[in-house]
Amino acid sequence: MKTTKMLLAAALTLCLSATAYSQAKKPTIMVAPSDVWCNKNGYMTAYDNQGTTVKVPSYKAALQDNADLLLVISKINELMQERGFPLKNLESSLKSLDNQAAEDAMLMSKSGAAAAESPIDKLKQVAKADIWMQMTWSINQTGPKKSITFNLQGLDAYTDKQVAGASGTGQPSFSSELPVLLEEAVLAHIDNFNAQLQSHFDDMAANGREVALRIRVWDSFDGDLESEYEGNELRNIIENWVSDNTVNKQFSTTDATEKIMLFEQVRIPLYNEKNRALDTRGWATGLQKMLKNQYQIDSKVMMKGLGQAQIVIGEK
Amino acid sequence: MKTVKIVKAWCAVSIIALIVAACGAAKKVADTDTKQWRYELEAVGVGVQGTYQVKVWSYSKDAGVAIEQAKKNAVHGIIFKGFAGIRGVPSQKPLVSTPSADSERKDFFEPFFADGGGYMKFVNLSNNGAIAPGDRIKIGKEYKIGVVVLVNVAALRKELENAGIVKKLGAI
Repeated sequence: MKTTKMLLAAALTLCLSATAYSQAKKPTIMVAPSDVWCNKNGYMTAYDNQGTTVKVPSYKAALQDNADLLLVISKINELMQERGFPLKNLESSLKSLDNQAAEDAMLMSKSGAAAAESPIDKLKQVAKADIWMQMTWSINQTGPKKSITFNLQGLDAYTDKQVAGASGTGQPSFSSELPVLLEEAVLAHIDNFNAQLQSHFDDMAANGREVALRIRVWDSFDGDLESEYEGNELRNIIENWVSDNTVNKQFSTTDATEKIMLFEQVRIPLYNEKNRALDTRGWATGLQKMLKNQYQIDSKVMMKGLGQAQIVIGEK
Repeated sequence: MKTVKIVKAWCAVSIIALIVAACGAAKKVADTDTKQWRYELEAVGVGVQGTYQVKVWSYSKDAGVAIEQAKKNAVHGIIFKGFAGIRGVPSQKPLVSTPSADSERKDFFEPFFADGGGYMKFVNLSNNGAIAPGDRIKIGKEYKIGVVVLVNVAALRKELENAGIVKKLGAI
């Protein structure tokens, strides 16, 4: 009896782990107001970038000040969660970043050493998502009638493509308050948006995840991408590897010079040969290993979320 | 005297049987119309969370049958047909991406769309099924009747997901 129970437990564990491995890495999604909305409502921070004034949206100020924005984000989060697309919350992400920064500033070892951080690590400490749901709304007034024009865009953070969208103007109303009109706008558009987002997921399942890969060389590297190895230029070796490791050999070489290569619309498989979920870093590590094993070239792999990786050749 | 009574009784029974048969035939025709997409769906307004508010135009010789069939047509339309939008209410695509799902999953859809079947859980007549004066149109021998209904599309989608007819949202 005991043996049967143990066997059953083992079988269950095996099944569960198999299921865990077969789960592809899902993109994270976050809702944020668009730059246009932030600009129109005065939530921008301006700074001087070498003589040019640059304006960036101040999400924190917008979230602390605008109750309508909070309502729309909360409604979208609620509906997306209900329909199977759990979202990261912008406000919580910003708070986590602040808390983390405060903790990092105080972090110290027993001997008094501070936690190491490269300039690039510092730059990367911003709210991150794989798909941004960018929304804009404006209020239209015709006499006593009010209506809302609502625009929701799903933007892939790595390919810069719009993967889903829904927009339109709601029915004009004499008496409805703004929050009611906003809620109605979200309800009216969310299903179409979700249908398009699901199509994007289906396309990903069928044709692989679309990612970008950038190749660069350290200036300390003895050679460049045109250097020949076993009679073949390094950039051709890299291109051949990319071609062999993409779904149906789908990729575009957007840039190829002696110092830089950029691959876009690269379709990588969702799972590796061990049937484990694969992201761009894991995939690019394959190229790093090939360069090391076959040509003794060291390189460094850096990632940006699920969909972008950079390999810098020459050293780690 | 006794014979007259028996004849009267037979007549009454025959008339009732004829009426029932006529209703049954009308119902059968209405069911065929649903299967052959002979109904129209149009957006009315943005429903409350998780619902669509649509007007269904159904055809029947019997106005009562048309009103009752409106519920079935609304659910059928939202699953297989989708509907066009109006100003302020966007159009919606059907829940299933292949119209052939109807014939491929007969095991699910036949009992689902049978009288009193599963579809009833997801639809409500708006305004107790009252028909606006302009929404009852006599065309030849039959009526074209427009009924406003509310369809709980969130729950309907879940039901179809659980039956494996549509893919779960968010699944890769």
